[in-house]
Amino acid sequence: MVFELHIWGPAFSLPSIDPHCLAAIAYLQQAVPRGKWQLIATSDPALSPTNELPALRNGDIWIGGFRNIFHYVAQFSSGEWVLDAGLPDQQGADCIAFSSFVEAHGQPLIDLSLYVSSQNYTSTTRPLYNSIQPFPLPYLTPPSVRATAKQRTAHLGLSSLDIDTEDADAAQEKSIIPESLRKPKNTVSSLLAANPESNAQIRLDALATNYFEPLQKIKGKKPHLVSDSQFSSLDCLALGYLSLMLIPSLPQPWLAKTMRKKFPDLCAWTEDMIDNVFGGPVKAEDALLPNDGDSTSAEQKAYLPWTAPKNGGAVGIGSVFLSSIADSIPVVGQLRRNTRMRLHGGKTLDDELQSSSWQGVAAISSIVAGLGLAVGYMFQQGLIPLPSGEEPAKERNASLDTFGDAGAALSVFATQLDAEAQRQRMGQSHGAPVAQVDVEAGPGGVTVTDNVA
Amino acid sequence: MNSILDFFPMPSDKTFNEKDGAPPAGQTSFSQHTSRVRHFFSIPAPVKTLFDKVPVLTYPPNDLSQRAPKSARIPSLYVFIKKEDAAAGRPSYNPSCLKWQVNFLELCRYQSPSDALKQPCLSLGRLPFLLPPSKNPKEAPTPITSNRLVKYAEEQGKTVEESSSMRYEAYQSLIDHRIRDAWLYTLYLEPLNFSAVAYHLYVSPTSTNPLVRASISHQLRSAAEAELLTHTAIIDTDDLYSEADKAFEALSILLGEDSWFFGTAKPTLFDASIFAYTQLLLDDELGWQEKKLCRALRRRGNLVQHRERLLVRYFGGA
Repeated sequence: MVFELHIWGPAFSLPSIDPHCLAAIAYLQQAVPRGKWQLIATSDPALSPTNELPALRNGDIWIGGFRNIFHYVAQFSSGEWVLDAGLPDQQGADCIAFSSFVEAHGQPLIDLSLYVSSQNYTSTTRPLYNSIQPFPLPYLTPPSVRATAKQRTAHLGLSSLDIDTEDADAAQEKSIIPESLRKPKNTVSSLLAANPESNAQIRLDALATNYFEPLQKIKGKKPHLVSDSQFSSLDCLALGYLSLMLIPSLPQPWLAKTMRKKFPDLCAWTEDMIDNVFGGPVKAEDALLPNDGDSTSAEQKAYLPWTAPKNGGAVGIGSVFLSSIADSIPVVGQLRRNTRMRLHGGKTLDDELQSSSWQGVAAISSIVAGLGLAVGYMFQQGLIPLPSGEEPAKERNASLDTFGDAGAALSVFATQLDAEAQRQRMGQSHGAPVAQVDVEAGPGGVTVTDNVA
Repeated sequence: MNSILDFFPMPSDKTFNEKDGAPPAGQTSFSQHTSRVRHFFSIPAPVKTLFDKVPVLTYPPNDLSQRAPKSARIPSLYVFIKKEDAAAGRPSYNPSCLKWQVNFLELCRYQSPSDALKQPCLSLGRLPFLLPPSKNPKEAPTPITSNRLVKYAEEQGKTVEESSSMRYEAYQSLIDHRIRDAWLYTLYLEPLNFSAVAYHLYVSPTSTNPLVRASISHQLRSAAEAELLTHTAIIDTDDLYSEADKAFEALSILLGEDSWFFGTAKPTLFDASIFAYTQLLLDDELGWQEKKLCRALRRRGNLVQHRERLLVRYFGGA
């Protein structure tokens, strides 16, 4: 059985853009014999049961997350393909502690350098996703990765690195002097605002130094981080993080600069390891089109067992696209995330299932209630006309008005006609024969006088 | 006599009437419609009148609660703690409070610590915080939050012992991330433990109203969930527990046969931060239901003894 390691695609001449994927590659490269595993740059986290890459596939079994992969590989080979076996107690403990340190403190640094910093993100990181993901996906993946990165680094108070959020127009006050005649005002603060990395230089330097210093100390003059002879899982993880800090050439290279200036020893170690483990620089074509190889890169291809990713055609890409859109819709995305978490929560307890279904019911009923309120408000405001007795009457009334000016003239005419008719009716009512009969009884007989008004 | 105007339907919107008399009759229904659309987004009249009647007032910031002592002569630390426990000088039930409580006791070792430890004010933002003694009785002192406590102590001429070992940062990250994540999961997201432990500690003391209680428990659980999800895509329980187990293993090896971590003569901040978790996980009175994390800790004998030593030293072995 051949393992398939699915990873985020290559970037910056490294085999992957993600530190955990790099760590997993290094681990398999060191622990698993050649020919027993393949490397596939899928760049699709939906494959993995934990919804993150790297993911390892062994037949029908999918393992997500690099730590789970280490455990699974050890279990599968019954303890043969393990890197940390046989480390002395103290070194084993150091390996565990520094792994936690490398991961917990390295992630914010990579987040800041590659994703939060606007300049690095727009000019370097975002375009990279175009080469490792099929067409519509680069529109969705990098922004969501960046949003997570911002969330993770929010507590550091360095959000000023992201200058996209500020309103650029607000700074330009309106002036009657035309653009061409104005003198550019380069104040100190405006220069600093344009280049937030130099503004936050001291904080960034301190963060980076606090990260590299313990690593430098634990390594000392040893060839590996904790052991004199043995390549450990800590080396894999550190290689993943340090190479992503050192190798990318970015417009704002504060992280690599600090590392090169203050910790040349760590830099040398990282570069050595990249050559030894990854076999030197990796091109995107090596990973994505490994089949039509020419003789020049054949040696490198042999170093890492690349296999071309099968994306499942337009249907596969479409479904990934739709699911990532669904994730970014507020309510729906939250529901999807919740179910994902419950599904993997080991044993799912009955009441927990119940509560999640209650959540679903609550969400749906709140949507219905919201829609009902909105429609009710529209009715109340008259945006949607209610069919009532008044409307047709108005329409009849206004039937001549629809003719515009002519209608107005006609309506004058109509009024006159109407008035005449009424006058006629009045006349008729006045001209009704009213007979007054006066009867006078006199000595000469009876005189009858008829007065017809 | 009927007037001509009777045949023009008057627009209901008065603004039109004022502007240009009677608009051409053909456009009326359309403009009525657009004005309604505009109206749809504007503030409804009753709300507007309400706002006009009740202008927005900005009140000065609230004073400290009445229970807070106005001018203490000694610094007071505010923590999550039960009433009877505070009176008896027992440990707090919140890890970050307990860490500073222990550290504070170490600093105030010769200053009658039981007086200095005050009752919590549950409603006040983030605990723990320290209220320094005020020089001016009329002026309320500014509380000091936990991230500035070390600096404050140094300003007062105390030295907060922190090891300078190269391993310090790495093992501290084990406590701050691996053990804390497992703690968050086991306390808040493990349903059995939440109802048995966290509910009695954080939810039921705050209110007796079932609605408020339900809302607070939901807030607590979702906050813990959000915290865990910032690091990973999904919450993987097996991974959390196995990483915490490995973390205890590493800390146990680091402690070895020493009394305190890094072989110091007296407990440091690091000892306090590990004690904050071990004390609570080993405290049987809390009534843990799902004991996976507790079992992982009990397997490391020297960590259990470390907890006993600190408990005797600061809380009289209670």
